[in-house]
Amino acid sequence: MSIAEKIKVLIVDDQVTSRLLLSDALTQLGFKQITAAGDGVQGMKVMEQQPHHLVISDFNMPNMDGLGLLQAVRTNPNTKKAAFIILTAQGDRALVQKAAQLGANNVLAKPFTIEKMKAAIEAVFGALK
Amino acid sequence: MVEDSAAKRVHIIQGEWKVIDDPNVVLSTILGSCVAACIRDPNAGVGGMNHFLLPGSAVPGAGGGDATRYGVHLMELLINGLLKKGARRDRLEAKIFGGAKTIATFSNVGEQNAAFATQFLRDEGIRVVGSSTGGDHGRKLEFWPVSGRARQYPLTGAETQKTVALERRPVPVSKPVESSIEFF
Repeated sequence: MSIAEKIKVLIVDDQVTSRLLLSDALTQLGFKQITAAGDGVQGMKVMEQQPHHLVISDFNMPNMDGLGLLQAVRTNPNTKKAAFIILTAQGDRALVQKAAQLGANNVLAKPFTIEKMKAAIEAVFGALK
Repeated sequence: MVEDSAAKRVHIIQGEWKVIDDPNVVLSTILGSCVAACIRDPNAGVGGMNHFLLPGSAVPGAGGGDATRYGVHLMELLINGLLKKGARRDRLEAKIFGGAKTIATFSNVGEQNAAFATQFLRDEGIRVVGSSTGGDHGRKLEFWPVSGRARQYPLTGAETQKTVALERRPVPVSKPVESSIEFF
């Protein structure tokens, strides 16, 4: 079993199309255990029920944004060790700094290529295959 | 109705998007194979337009290539911009224009672009209240983001060829997140 197959990934994005594309990219990278949520509140519910190893979350979302979810994940003892990658549609330096302060493992700009997504995940987990 | 003479005109080029809440502003663009999505929230009095060309196949769910991600990105920037100005996702309505099939392209890129926009809006649950896509001629488009009024003029054959030639030039890639922060 490859590393990618063992990693449980939660993807959080308010756009259906973005979730589909993200899920598609992860499947191409060999991930098999993928769960999706539509905002930070739903994402945190999933994490509380079943902690995932990796959260890939959009920044700009209603109810609870990506930074809110990151904060919630980091303050819950059951989920605080999860790797967290934030996706952002806007190249915002302040957001990158805030994400780093709050304990994000990486920030990836949209639109990303599969290669960039792979590199962002491998920077956290090492080579996937 | 807004009179043209009083309108402030903002022109949008390929790869751009704008969100406006001023009723005196009219957004304009010129489309060959490109597609423009005009989206607004009638209650919040805010609307906007983007303008994109996706090279190659660009249908969500059919492989999810980089072209699709680029289109999704421009739609997301526009929708995020609208939500920031007070729009609500469930009230958004859209009009789609462009995607002409022209002799110069010898392909159905325009049709694929229009299909991408239609499918994206359907998947996201955004109501399409009007569209004019396909055909042999390019379009000059005007959109009043607050009222939702749209007006288009067909381009002549020569204008269409010129527009398509311009569209096929490389577009600057959007800026990546600037970061000097070490995560590891």
